[in-house]
Amino acid sequence: MREPNEIDFWRGFALVTIFVNHVPGLYFERFTYRNASLSDAAELFVLLAGWALRKLVDSTPKEGAAAGLVFRLAGRALDVYVAQLVITEIAIAILAASSILLDAPFLLDWHNASAVFHDPVRAHIGTVVLTHQLGYFNILPLYVVLMLGAPLIPSIHRAAPSALLPASLAIYAATLVLGVNLPTWPIEGTWFFNPLAWQAVFVLGYLAAGTDGFGGFVRRHRTSLRWLALPVVALGALAALARYSPDPIDLPEPTLFFMFDKTFLSPARLLHALALAVLLGGAFATIRRFLPPLTDYLALLGRNSLQVFCAASLLSLIGQILRFASGGTFAIDAVIVSVGVSILGAVAWASDSRERLRRASPKGQPPSSPAASS
Amino acid sequence: MTSTVCAGTFEPHVPALPLSPPCAAPDRDIAAPAALPNFTAALEKRKALRILAIGSSSTAGLGATSNGKSYPSRLESILERALKGIDIEVVNRGVSGEVAEITAERIRSEVAIDKPDLVLWQLGTNDALIRVPPDEFETEVRDLLRWLRDNKIDVVLVGMQYTTRLARDPSYAEIRARLQRIATEEKVLYVRRYDAMRFIAQAHAELRLMARDEFHLNDLGYQCMAEHVAHALVASLYVKTPRPAAE
Repeated sequence: MREPNEIDFWRGFALVTIFVNHVPGLYFERFTYRNASLSDAAELFVLLAGWALRKLVDSTPKEGAAAGLVFRLAGRALDVYVAQLVITEIAIAILAASSILLDAPFLLDWHNASAVFHDPVRAHIGTVVLTHQLGYFNILPLYVVLMLGAPLIPSIHRAAPSALLPASLAIYAATLVLGVNLPTWPIEGTWFFNPLAWQAVFVLGYLAAGTDGFGGFVRRHRTSLRWLALPVVALGALAALARYSPDPIDLPEPTLFFMFDKTFLSPARLLHALALAVLLGGAFATIRRFLPPLTDYLALLGRNSLQVFCAASLLSLIGQILRFASGGTFAIDAVIVSVGVSILGAVAWASDSRERLRRASPKGQPPSSPAASS
Repeated sequence: MTSTVCAGTFEPHVPALPLSPPCAAPDRDIAAPAALPNFTAALEKRKALRILAIGSSSTAGLGATSNGKSYPSRLESILERALKGIDIEVVNRGVSGEVAEITAERIRSEVAIDKPDLVLWQLGTNDALIRVPPDEFETEVRDLLRWLRDNKIDVVLVGMQYTTRLARDPSYAEIRARLQRIATEEKVLYVRRYDAMRFIAQAHAELRLMARDEFHLNDLGYQCMAEHVAHALVASLYVKTPRPAAE
């Protein structure tokens, strides 16, 4: 197993944060960083996904790699897609079972699930083509689209390294100017995370992970960038604490550029996420010196991010139902968080163990579960 | 009604909208009129208006037999009939089971992209059921109301449905009380669905406004919801000084 490292640590941190943030009204939500920040764990998660993509690409041998890489990335996109369908179906079953057990038909409504029960013909199509997303289950669809586009990123980067960032930012800018987004169906609306906008943070993560170009620039100017990041993070904290949100009426067109919009990842949020990364990136070594169990635990989660993400999504939903049934007291909230984070650890540990077994098995004799390699 | 009629190109004497017999309820159980200055001004200036109907399952129209029978669709035709010559488009952005915090995020996005002339925000039920602390709910709603006011967009709060089961739920009662208080203090129009539905349920025991799950409305329920919202809107069109909401 790879040693605890900075990326896995922050991914684990993002995963626990997402788990807590996805239980509305949970007491412990107030301790998550979005309360004092413009961007939240979603930006961090996607930035790190871009970073991980770069590591994957760089670890793929260069000779004749193009086809191999495309297959590898497409396989990864498929894994995420399958994970999304499986957790969506399990979430639907959890809601259905709870509605029977608690005699609470309104649970069938939660998080946009109702179309599955009331309009199953269209909702099933929508679920498979990702245009029907449950609330809080809308990050993986973004990730699927990003991974489907992922082969383009190293291709452009290899052919013309300096073209990747301008291309990504041009798509981002055009998306904000035009206000375009992918549609949802059968429920009329648009994606909560707009992939056309969010690809920017993914590509920036990809570039930042390299030692050349943008990544090289960041590394060379680390100290000055930190000084620049400090006021951005401080202003973001002030805005969030004051619950400030810009007024489109006072803003020039296109207003999305100046809002703090999450769906379109407005520049303020993007910049804030980058500033946070510059400021806190590297803190891992220090944190590990003082709190090695914490860093190792979060790194364990982050190392198995897809499995942990899926478990966390379902645990958030179970937590919501427990809060409904119990009335949402502090005690139940404490149970949800402590048991939930422990289960996430168990899931990651099981996934690690499976990987260890796979590696220990003699070459050419794959263990019983070939799917464990993702 | 203590309303001041102002002159304009638009015919200001919109008669009070009659309610169909099954949906009849006293005005005090529907809404206390509150000023809608921006919507009224837009009505005087333009011939086409956009209304954003956003919220959860009651907006999406769950329990209705077709999309055309959801409350936003019905409202569109009722308003077009009442406000002759005005083209009204009611955009439906209901997402079932959504809490106010997420809807607020979507409202900000919708307003930034496509500034509507009026926002109908149906809310409360899911926050009560998912046990969002009432203080958090109140802060979230007030923040958005002030933001909308700063952006010169009128808003109507559309309250929670009456169901016999949830009538005894303390969180449900608390969130409903908060909505009433927020609406009174922020001086926004608040459609008291719960009271209107309870009145109908008690006045006509034989009428069914709910679908078989006893939670969603049926076609008649949505018809009444649309009528009540339309009635409250029209009654508020030329209100300059809102009278204190009756408790």
